[in-house]
Amino acid sequence: MHRKSIVTFMALAGLVLAGLAQAAEPVRIGFSLSKTGMFANATPSQLNVYELWKEQVNAAGGLDVAGERRPIEFVSYDDQSNTGNAVKIYEKLITDDKVDLLLAPWGTPFHFAVAAVLERHKFPMIGNSAASVQLREIKPGYIWFPTSAIPDKIAEEMGKLLSSRGVKTVAVTNLQLPFSLEIKQFLMPVLERAGIKVVVDEAYPPGIKDMTAILIKVKNAKPDAVLSLSYPPDSVLYMMTARELGIDAPFQFVLIGPTIDFFAKMFGPAADGIVTVGHWSPHQKAWPKAKPFFDAYVAKFNTRPDYLDSALAYMSVEILEQAVAKAGLDKEKLRRVIASTTFDTINGPVRFDGVQNATTPTMFLQLQAGEAQIVWPPDQATAEIMRKPAWPAQ
Amino acid sequence: MDSLLSGQLLVATLVVGALYALVALGLNLIYGTMRLLNIAHGDLVMLGAYVSYWGFSLASVSPLVSMFVAMALSALLGMAIYVVLVRRALHSTALVARIEANSLLIFFGVSVILQNTAALLFTANPRAYAYLDQVIRIGDAAISANRLVVLVVALVVCVAAILYLRLSMTGLAIRALIQERDAARLAGIEPERIHLLSFALGFAMAALAGSLISMIQQVSPFMGFPFTIAAFVIIILGGLGNLMGSLIGGFLLAAIETYGVALTSASFRSILIYGVFIAVLVWRPQGLFGGARVAR
Repeated sequence: MHRKSIVTFMALAGLVLAGLAQAAEPVRIGFSLSKTGMFANATPSQLNVYELWKEQVNAAGGLDVAGERRPIEFVSYDDQSNTGNAVKIYEKLITDDKVDLLLAPWGTPFHFAVAAVLERHKFPMIGNSAASVQLREIKPGYIWFPTSAIPDKIAEEMGKLLSSRGVKTVAVTNLQLPFSLEIKQFLMPVLERAGIKVVVDEAYPPGIKDMTAILIKVKNAKPDAVLSLSYPPDSVLYMMTARELGIDAPFQFVLIGPTIDFFAKMFGPAADGIVTVGHWSPHQKAWPKAKPFFDAYVAKFNTRPDYLDSALAYMSVEILEQAVAKAGLDKEKLRRVIASTTFDTINGPVRFDGVQNATTPTMFLQLQAGEAQIVWPPDQATAEIMRKPAWPAQ
Repeated sequence: MDSLLSGQLLVATLVVGALYALVALGLNLIYGTMRLLNIAHGDLVMLGAYVSYWGFSLASVSPLVSMFVAMALSALLGMAIYVVLVRRALHSTALVARIEANSLLIFFGVSVILQNTAALLFTANPRAYAYLDQVIRIGDAAISANRLVVLVVALVVCVAAILYLRLSMTGLAIRALIQERDAARLAGIEPERIHLLSFALGFAMAALAGSLISMIQQVSPFMGFPFTIAAFVIIILGGLGNLMGSLIGGFLLAAIETYGVALTSASFRSILIYGVFIAVLVWRPQGLFGGARVAR
C-alpha cells in the first residue's frame, strides 16, 4: 500500500516535470570564440553582442520560432585562437551537442575554416566578422557574409574618395598581414588609374615597436593623404608618432583601430578627423534601430561597441532572429529564407546575393568630436567629411 | 640622409631601448642568480600595466604613483612564487641539476594562470587611457611627454640597478652568486636571501615596465608574450647573467630597429633584428658580454 502510493506519486511528479519541460524547451545556439590566445583581445566586441542579444530576446519572452516563443541557451567553447580547434568545435556542436542553431566565430580565417563543416553537415550559419575577396569563392549554400568592407571595394571607393578631395599625392604604409595586404594589392592599380602619385610605399612586419623611421620618410614627402593600413598595435604607433612628428596631411586614414573603444579613450581629440573603414554609425537616422542598439550596448558593458565588428555581429543575430521567426528551426527552410529575404537590421536593409551582402554599400567612417560618422559615399553620409585638424597643441 | 643624424631617430631609439633594457634586466637577474627561465616575465609586465590602467581609470591615480604599487604587488607575487614553487626545487640536489628545464614548465604554468586570470577578471577588451600625451620639443626632436617619462624612468632605474649591483654589499653578493654559485656559498653568502631578493627585484622591474607601457600602448591580458620574447633575445644577445650586457643589448636592438629601418626599409625590420642576433651568436655563442660557461 505504502509502496504503491510512492510509485504513483513519482509517476505523477514525472509527468508534471515533463509537462513543464515541454512548455519552455530552450533553443540551443552554439558557437566558438577565441577567448584566449592572440586574437582574444579582438573577440569581446563580438561576444558581448551575442550576450546582449540573448538577454534582450529572453527578456522579451524568448526567440520566436515560427510562432512559438522559446528561451535562448548558448553552448559555447574557446577555440584558443586556433582555426583547427574551431573546426573541431563546430563539428562537435553539430554532431555531439546537437545544437539547434549556430553563430559565427570571430575573424576571416575562422569563417573560412568553419564553412567546410557547415557545407558537410548542411547547417546554415550567418557569418559576420569576415572580409576578404576570397569570400566570393565560397560556394553559396550554408554561410553568408553581411560585411561590405571587402578589400577590392574598399580600394575602389578609396580611389573615388581621394579624387573627390583633390588628393594628388599619397603615402601608403602597410602591415604585412592578410587584410591590409589584400587592400594594398587592389589599391595600387586604383591609385594609378586615378592619377594619384604614391610618394611613400613602406611595408612592415608584425611586432614592430617603432615607426619613427618610416614616418620621417612620410613627413618629408609632404603627401596630401596618408593611408596607414595598420592593425591596432601599429595604428597606435602611427597615431603617437604622427603626432610627435606633426604630420599635417589633410587626409589621414587608419585601417583598423579607430572603431574600437580604447582608441577614442587613448587619443581623445587627437583622433578627430581620422578616416577608417566601417559601414555603421549610430547617428544614421535612416536606421531607427541603430541608436537603441548603441545605447543598450553602452548601458550593459560600460564601453562603446566596435563600429565594425559589433555592428556586424548584431546584424548577423538580427538576421538569424528574423529568419527563424519565418522558417522555424528546419535547416533547409532556414537556408531558403536567409538566401531570399530582405532583412531589417541596425544597418538598414540587408539582402544576400549568393554569399555576399548585395544592399549595403562600402563606406568610410570618420571620427568627429569623438563620434563615428559615415562620410562616404555622400548619399549615405551622416556628416560631411572634414580635413584632419592639426594635432592638439601642448 | 640628414634625417639619419636627426635627434628624432635618436630619441626613438632611446625610448624603445630603455624599455627593452628594463624588461630584460629583470629577466636576467632571475636567470643569472638561479638559472630559472621565467617565461612568465612578459605577463608580469601585463599585470603592472593593468594596475596602472585601473588606478588611472577608477581613481585618476597617475601611473607615476601607481607604478610603486605595481612594483610592490609584483615583488610580493615574486616572493610568493619563489617560496611556494621554486625553493623546493632548488634545495633538492636531484632537481637542481634539471632546474633550467623544470623552470620552463613551472613558469609556463604561471604564465597561463596569470593570462587567464586576467582575462577572466578584466575581460579581454583592449584598454587604454590618455596621460601626458602633449608633444614636447627638445632641440630638433619632438617627443610625447609620456614617452619622455618612459625613457627617463626606465633609464634611471636601469642605471640605479646596475650601480646597486656594483657598489652595495647585497649587490656584490648577487653578482657573486651569478658568477660562481657554489663558491659564493663557501664565502658565507646566504643564497636563500639573495634568491628571494632577486625574485622580488626582477618581478618588480617587470611590473614597472608594465606601468610605463600602459601610458603608450593598449593593455590586454595576452599582451605579455612579445615582451618575453624580446627580453630573451636581449639577454641571450648580451650574455646570460651579465646585467650590463642586457642594458647594452636593449639599446643595440632598438638601434638596429630604428636606424636599420631608416637605412634600408621597414620590411627588413625583423630580418635585421634576428639576423644580427644569429650573427652575434655564431661569432660569440655566449653573447656579447657573456663569460665562457662550464656546462653544469
